[in-house]
Amino acid sequence: MEHTAHVQTKRSRGGFEFCLNDERSTTTQSLSSSNVDMATNANLSEPSDSEQSSLNDGNLSSQSSNRSLRVAEKERRKNEAEDPFVLALKYFADVEAGTPVCGNDEVERNLVLVEKVAYHKGLPPEAVSVMLEFAMSLRMGTTLCPRVLKCMIPATMVPQKAVVRAVVWLSVGKIPISTQVLFLKWVLTMFDLIDGKEQLRAIYGFIFSFITDENLCPFICHLLYLLTRKENVRVYRVRKLLELQSKLGRQPFLLHLLSLYKVFCPELVTLSIPSRMRSGFRNHSLPWKSTLIRMVKRNDSQVASSISLALSVKDKAGSRKRKHNHLQIPALHSVVNKPAQADPSSIRKVVPLLQLNSFAQLLENMHHVELPAQMGSLLGSSVALQYLDCVQDESALLRLNFWLGYALHEEFLFCDGVTHNSEESLQFLNKLLSTQHFLQEGFSSSEVFLYKFLNIWDGSFLRPQILGLLSNIPVVPSSQIGQLLFQPLMQLFFTSSIFFKCGLIDCLNNMLLRWLTWHSVYALEDDLDISLNSHTSVNMTLSGFKDSVIELIHFVGRLASVGLQLEGCHTLLLSFVLDFYETVCDTFLKYGLPLVVMPPAGVFYPALLATDPVSVDRLAYIMYRYKVNLTSAKSQGTVAEQAFHISRQTFREFNHYIIIMVNCLWNSRMFQTSNLDMKLGEELLLRSKVPQCGARFSFIHHPAFMSYAIDFHQRCWPGRKDVDLDSIKDPKSWNWYLEYLFTQGWDGLQQFVQSNVSWKTAAEVRCPDVPSSQES
Amino acid sequence: MTPADSAVVQRRNKSKYRLSYRSGLGAASRLCLTPALTTRRLSTSRKAPKINITNVSPEHVALLMKTEWQLSYVTPLYQFRHTQLKNYSRQLAAFLAAEKQQGLAVEVEGMQSSFTVCFSVLQGMVMTDDDPETVLIQIQSKPVFPKKNEPQKPVWSGWLTCINGNVEYLRSLPKDFTCLPLFCSSGPEAFTSVIKSWLQQNFDCCFGQLEISHTSLQWLMALWTNCHAESGIQHLKMIWTLPAEPPLQVTYMVEPQDAWVLWNSLRNSQKHPENTGDDPEEDNIDIGEVKRFVQALKSHFYRHFRLDLSAGRLSQVSTALGSAKCNGRIKMSNSRYMITTLMLLTECALFKMPI
Repeated sequence: MEHTAHVQTKRSRGGFEFCLNDERSTTTQSLSSSNVDMATNANLSEPSDSEQSSLNDGNLSSQSSNRSLRVAEKERRKNEAEDPFVLALKYFADVEAGTPVCGNDEVERNLVLVEKVAYHKGLPPEAVSVMLEFAMSLRMGTTLCPRVLKCMIPATMVPQKAVVRAVVWLSVGKIPISTQVLFLKWVLTMFDLIDGKEQLRAIYGFIFSFITDENLCPFICHLLYLLTRKENVRVYRVRKLLELQSKLGRQPFLLHLLSLYKVFCPELVTLSIPSRMRSGFRNHSLPWKSTLIRMVKRNDSQVASSISLALSVKDKAGSRKRKHNHLQIPALHSVVNKPAQADPSSIRKVVPLLQLNSFAQLLENMHHVELPAQMGSLLGSSVALQYLDCVQDESALLRLNFWLGYALHEEFLFCDGVTHNSEESLQFLNKLLSTQHFLQEGFSSSEVFLYKFLNIWDGSFLRPQILGLLSNIPVVPSSQIGQLLFQPLMQLFFTSSIFFKCGLIDCLNNMLLRWLTWHSVYALEDDLDISLNSHTSVNMTLSGFKDSVIELIHFVGRLASVGLQLEGCHTLLLSFVLDFYETVCDTFLKYGLPLVVMPPAGVFYPALLATDPVSVDRLAYIMYRYKVNLTSAKSQGTVAEQAFHISRQTFREFNHYIIIMVNCLWNSRMFQTSNLDMKLGEELLLRSKVPQCGARFSFIHHPAFMSYAIDFHQRCWPGRKDVDLDSIKDPKSWNWYLEYLFTQGWDGLQQFVQSNVSWKTAAEVRCPDVPSSQES
Repeated sequence: MTPADSAVVQRRNKSKYRLSYRSGLGAASRLCLTPALTTRRLSTSRKAPKINITNVSPEHVALLMKTEWQLSYVTPLYQFRHTQLKNYSRQLAAFLAAEKQQGLAVEVEGMQSSFTVCFSVLQGMVMTDDDPETVLIQIQSKPVFPKKNEPQKPVWSGWLTCINGNVEYLRSLPKDFTCLPLFCSSGPEAFTSVIKSWLQQNFDCCFGQLEISHTSLQWLMALWTNCHAESGIQHLKMIWTLPAEPPLQVTYMVEPQDAWVLWNSLRNSQKHPENTGDDPEEDNIDIGEVKRFVQALKSHFYRHFRLDLSAGRLSQVSTALGSAKCNGRIKMSNSRYMITTLMLLTECALFKMPI
């Protein structure tokens, strides 16, 4: 059955091919009559069985499992033999041609039965086949045909074979035009419910032949639009369509079909569609749609057509005309001049990206995707970006970069005097940013652009976007980082508001994070000083990478020190700076980069002496992480060969900071650290007339914790009128106080104290466990 | 070892230190192509225009002369083939027809277009082997009722060229790309934009306006004056725009002989004794000389009119050899000096490349 149908369709195509040059009358006529023969000869009494077999043809593996199902099915059918609906179907399947309609109560009764089922819960596939066959064969004349068609509401799906047969019936020519149109509308409405499209595609040429009928043309065009594949686009079809165009004028349906042809074969046809015509095929107000939707709702079954998979590629907002629209993302077009390929069959298979609408489709066609004519159009399509992420096509990337660089340069650099259209710029940059985030990498053209743009940027124009792009910049060699990045950024930093300063520190933190992540993903461990093995021939060694990172960290250290001073240790700025150092302190353990860089004094002291407990707590956490990193680096240094040298200077700085912190917060001996940089003269301290000045920044008296101390005091001694914080110094209450502090959520402090002070809740002696032993 | 440590080691074992940086050009070249940094600066020294283009046919040269061209820069063309020009002609003709009749599809093969498009190569219009051959596009209108022997009317022409392009840059591009950075067009604006969009769609390139900068205009002035001995420049005309309210435009004409004497005196004073015997073909002009020349002209003007031209901008320069405007329009009237001018313009166009 399947086989014969295929032969028939083949023949029918051949017939059409022939008719194109000639009149299509006799050949088609005889051909269709042969089809009718085939249809009538078919075993109509058991349409469901043939349906089933055609369905199962595709998946042989499941056939055996289906056998038992079919047995059960037969069993069930026997039981239902007396079901009036089944009987009604049987009537329509078996009814003799030429049976009169008028006064035929039996027809009326059976039809009402079918209609009832159809409108109530939809027709099962086999019923659709039977009824369609009945209606289109005109066995009982033309009057019943529209009525039957109107109730053709499938419960689950429409068998493809039934549609193919019905299309064949169309050519018999006895069906009134209005009914033919109704049938085509039905096919279009049910298109997504047809269980397969291969056989319909096989009779593409046959369907195409109906295009000459003026009444059917719009619907045939729509159907062809849904069926067309690259191999269907042929010169003679293009000619036929153009001929029709010259006859009918600019009809949207012809244009849409032609524009699809252009997508597949731009070398055959070209056209430009005016914007008012771009809307697509008219959605005919169809009688079935509402019933279908109602039924789907009632059955609560998922119909594939209700879920729109299509990802919109075109941005409607961008269609507004502008004088300088550099930022307009080009539309997707397919390539006209394809590079010559040795194997013509491979060209056949190529799928334009334009035709891919979902990730699943992309996966299917991964190996023969054709990139669009203009790579810039990818920026708007997530499917395309997914593809771009997989293939490392250098030319494609370069094309994208040329376009992107051009757009950025023209819009922001070469536009002297022209006011920016910031709304459009904003959207564009946001799109670019989301693309870069999607790819988790920056584009080289946006990098090059930024190096130039930073020199003319005022620091406020589209600040979040520019800083976002900036943080995506890949590792810059240390020899150039100063000139490219630091110089312009320094100028901007010192001349801008506190908000810019915070934004920039945040941006540099993100940049560092990206670099470190990049390293941790791609680092090779054999050699400490390896070249980057890459197809893009980058020569960056590990030590070169480290140099760049060190440069960046030092740069931020300088910015932060001076910035904090300028802004009076602004809490917000301090918070962003501490964010940065939270990244820095963990470079070794978190990212596997053998590097430890301590914060400068200009950052350390403002954080230590901050008036808010959050900053002190975060500093404590950072120092704790430094300790963990250093300890681990040291222990690895003795175990594994891949030791890295941490300079004595780093250890010294670290120990110094730890001693200061412990002395200041714990031992109340703030100014007694006889070490390194900070040393205040005795007389100076005396002259300040602050009593016990060394204890002023202990946990009790530190401005950040004073309120906790008072609170604690009140809870401990609720009756006392005068608050004497020094009474907390008593070992027992001190321990309680600390535990109280730690319950307030200051985890950083807790970790710091536990790792650096040998503190036991019952212990009386509190002495710092300074890790000076590490300095072997 | 803590669990975190082992994770680090494992991770490092597994993967390569691969740079997946999204650029077609490697990062090594990515930074040296940053014009702020390196090679792609405008030259500070040029050969005096003594180069004759003997290997270009005179008819071709004549096509480029005496027309005022509007300049644009073009990013490298992707998949452009000099062998496919016939195809391009056909496709562009169909595209023009389709654009003209919005909403009417046009068959590419059938030639029902009212325009003839002709792509051709201007053989020999190169300086080095790295320069791709120049491509000329001509569009002629077909009369509705053609008479015999009636020549078709040219309506638009344009050409893409690259003369002595930066070798480093040209070689850094992959094979799929053809770098013809300078686009000169002449004809109705509507045609220009349609043709540009066709080129954009087919070769994934971008077009931007190419202005002739203040410095480039000064260069042209000096280069042309330098030729006076061989072919008279007739006059040296400059138009200066001064930022006054209302804007002041100064047209400054210099007698050719005076300009020549001034230029020569500057040149001679610069020449080193050992260089005097050199072949004049090897003569190089330095940016310093150009600046001094312009400065001398300015100070002369100041002496007479008490108006310092340094405050303004040079907006147009013209001599008998050609004219150039700051908005990117240029006319070359003498083929002998065409190549030097085009070298300068190619340099300007490459300077504008986004990467």
